[in-house]
Amino acid sequence: MAKRQSWWLWAAAALAYVFLYLPLVIVVVYSFNDSKLNAEWVGFTLDWYHKLFNNREMLVAARNSMVIGVVSALAATFFGALAGIAMHRYKLRLLPFLVLTPIAIPEILMGVSLLIFFVLLNVTLGMTSIILAHVAFCIGFVAIVVRARMQGMDNSLVEAARDLGATPWQAFRLVTLPQIMPGILAGGLMAFTLSIDDFVITFFTAGVGSSTLPLQIYSMIKIAVTPEVNAISTLLMVLTLCLIVLVSKVSPGALRAE
Amino acid sequence: MKKLLLSMSLLASSMAFAADELHLYNWNNYLTEATAKRFEQSCKCKLVQDYYGDNEEMLAKLAAGAKGYDIVVPTGFAVQTLIGQKGAAPLDKAQLSNLKNINPGYMGGFFDKANTYSVPYAFTTTVLGYNETQLQKAGVLDKANSWALIFDPAVVSKIKGKVTVLDSQRELMAAALMYLGYPANETDPAKWKQAQQVILKAKPYWAAFNNQSYIKELTVGNAWVSLGYSNDLFQAQQDALKAKRPFKLNFSLQQEGNTLSMDNLVILKDAPRKDLAHKFINFMLDGKNAAELTNEVGAGNPNQAAMPNVKPEITKLSAIFPSKEALPKLQQLQDLNGKQRRELNKLWSEIKLK
Amino acid sequence: MQERLGKWLLSWPPLAYLVVFFLLPSLIMMFAAFRYPGDYGGLMPLTSEDPATGKLVLDITLDNWRDYLTLESFVRLVDEPLYIELFIKSLWYATLTTLICIAMGYPLAWLIARSPKKYRDLMLLLVILPFWSNFLIRIYAWMILLGPQSALSKAINLVVTAFGHEPVSLLFTPFAVIVCLVYVHLPFMVLPLYANLEKHDMALLDAAQDLGASAWQRFWKITWPLSLPGVYAGAALVFIPALGMFAVPDIIGGTEGIMIGNLIKQQFLETRDWPFGAVLSIMLTGGVLLMAGLAAAVGRGKQKAKQKHG
Repeated sequence: MAKRQSWWLWAAAALAYVFLYLPLVIVVVYSFNDSKLNAEWVGFTLDWYHKLFNNREMLVAARNSMVIGVVSALAATFFGALAGIAMHRYKLRLLPFLVLTPIAIPEILMGVSLLIFFVLLNVTLGMTSIILAHVAFCIGFVAIVVRARMQGMDNSLVEAARDLGATPWQAFRLVTLPQIMPGILAGGLMAFTLSIDDFVITFFTAGVGSSTLPLQIYSMIKIAVTPEVNAISTLLMVLTLCLIVLVSKVSPGALRAE
Repeated sequence: MKKLLLSMSLLASSMAFAADELHLYNWNNYLTEATAKRFEQSCKCKLVQDYYGDNEEMLAKLAAGAKGYDIVVPTGFAVQTLIGQKGAAPLDKAQLSNLKNINPGYMGGFFDKANTYSVPYAFTTTVLGYNETQLQKAGVLDKANSWALIFDPAVVSKIKGKVTVLDSQRELMAAALMYLGYPANETDPAKWKQAQQVILKAKPYWAAFNNQSYIKELTVGNAWVSLGYSNDLFQAQQDALKAKRPFKLNFSLQQEGNTLSMDNLVILKDAPRKDLAHKFINFMLDGKNAAELTNEVGAGNPNQAAMPNVKPEITKLSAIFPSKEALPKLQQLQDLNGKQRRELNKLWSEIKLK
Repeated sequence: MQERLGKWLLSWPPLAYLVVFFLLPSLIMMFAAFRYPGDYGGLMPLTSEDPATGKLVLDITLDNWRDYLTLESFVRLVDEPLYIELFIKSLWYATLTTLICIAMGYPLAWLIARSPKKYRDLMLLLVILPFWSNFLIRIYAWMILLGPQSALSKAINLVVTAFGHEPVSLLFTPFAVIVCLVYVHLPFMVLPLYANLEKHDMALLDAAQDLGASAWQRFWKITWPLSLPGVYAGAALVFIPALGMFAVPDIIGGTEGIMIGNLIKQQFLETRDWPFGAVLSIMLTGGVLLMAGLAAAVGRGKQKAKQKHG
């Protein structure tokens, strides 16, 4: 598609990017700010990064968050994609209801219920219980996006493949999956984002010594959140971005199936 | 599914109890790193901390059945709750030889009269912090020692939009009740209603209900008056000094009275390591160790053996170490019963919505 | 046969997962709506420890269940207009947030979907990247942007005072709440929209242009109707979480920032009234599901009508 887009479209999109990045610039810039307060610019320093690298608790929490985020996103994307496809193809009653409800239910109720549930089953609280909980609330986001991708999509390709002798699995892998890949990608990104930033449900499902970054940060609210948090946020973003770029360079097909 | 769960829980538990570990469920930054390190050396064990930002968060989590923590650090009324929930373990005082260090005046709080379950750890007062320079300009500095500064429309209207108050039903109601001359623990619905009216009349002049960022707003100069906790306001004052602000921050007790929040060390009933927990409490009762917290975060200290080690500039501050005359005017909030809490929540929702 | 196997393979894994890790746990708390709060938080226990044996005994029986189960929490909700008012206010905030998100997200999603293939993933990634920093830190950044010292505040006040009004404060206002609500939810609008717009067949638009349709006509007659599933999905993923939001109004809402989410959170924390918290949650969730059901029904009706005409 080489057609030129109208200028106002560009302007509107650029404005949206500015809106998204204005606060982010502040987050990054203030990680170099020589003041404990996240409030105004004083001067340049690398102190917060120094402090951060000596703060074992924060680093462990960041690692936990990353592990939980990646595992939950992968699992939720798998379950969510299946649910999305199923909801598109078949007339189901229970699944659409179960997919939407975790999004609608107040997080705190879900957190308390899961905690009671895990205690009843004698599951030791920790990374596992956090991941189980995160997957539960992320599935819906993925499923809804995948379904939105499939709606109005041409079914004739799948039928053609079947007519040409492809098994249902082959038709799925070679035709359907590539078609819905952008939806899966979008859903997976959302799941990862939700997981690494969740506080309420994580608070209730976390066990002793399994703190995540949001848990660390929210408990700092009372005593002022220091720019160390800006520093670790900056590092995490850079790290994740590098990881994704690396993955897409090593295996270009990983993110996109053509 | 059940098998899977079982194997997962086994895996998780084998990881969690690998060594001698004490699990402390604490406020963030409520134990200095140096103290924690020294304790680990002295007990040859690992001290693992998890944090909460609010008593109610911790209570809700324990009420839902979370286990594995040895010690929690609840405020007075929350100790009452924990004991009521049968969640606290009685202390073995034979193992707490340093208990004598606590100032007898702080022992036997209403929530645990014989200190069967709890040992006082540190305290804060809930007071007004203010920007002296700006209040002087606005001509209301002389009101800073009274709750009128935030509740009397004639006064607060002069600093409109520059006031933040705690987003806490209990603390704000207590302040309004004391402004009216009632005790902070008043539970008569009619008097609560009066206090609600006081708050509603003053609310248009306030900028925000704020628990999160008042330290920042004060230090930068966006807010001139904040109802907050003494240790936070101490921090704001220090930050402003360090940043060489063109104004002076201060905080002081109000003449009508203030609330005092005593945080206590409590061992949980299902604590896996009660032995280490006792060791920790006794360690923290040592004067030198207790002083470190006060020096770092400006929390009031009930430990008299700590006093010689506390920086003199902190002991001078009346809102952190109240004088003998001020002490009787400080009241600790008691836990409410279910009906009262519902009533209060309704009043509070009305305040927020109107 | 194969059809049924496919249906089974696709729907059972997510269904089983959600039943175990969502439905069963939630039922515990749904049931809590009919119970009494415990004296010291939590719920009034239905079991007690037998002092002789130390075993747990179920106290509730067919004869005394009235002492343990109640509808009082539901009655309170109906009796008190305050809570309905709050619900309506939250609905209004969430609707406004959703509309602004559509207005801002649509051009962005469209542009990404129409960009050369090799840039698309990167552009998409850039939309979500800011959200891998911490939520609190992002809101704090907005507090700086909206604070009295900020360029934005100063610019607005320059205009406001030029017209002879009192200077206004942006921070701690409903305006700040909406800005932050839009900000935290925008990617959840852009991503579903992108996923939908990406597949649109450009040949259709070219054909329309060849037939003399203006840009506006092409958008309104072709792109927009085709993208509706994406719009619905995005709207659902913005509207529903925004409706239950409590952190944004807590931090930046000033003296008027309270939404239904704050009230629910209070029931579980400060007020320790879990049954009422559960009732409010049921109302919120039920309301959302009802709206979703209605929207789906309307959508189906439209489709049927179209098919008839077509």
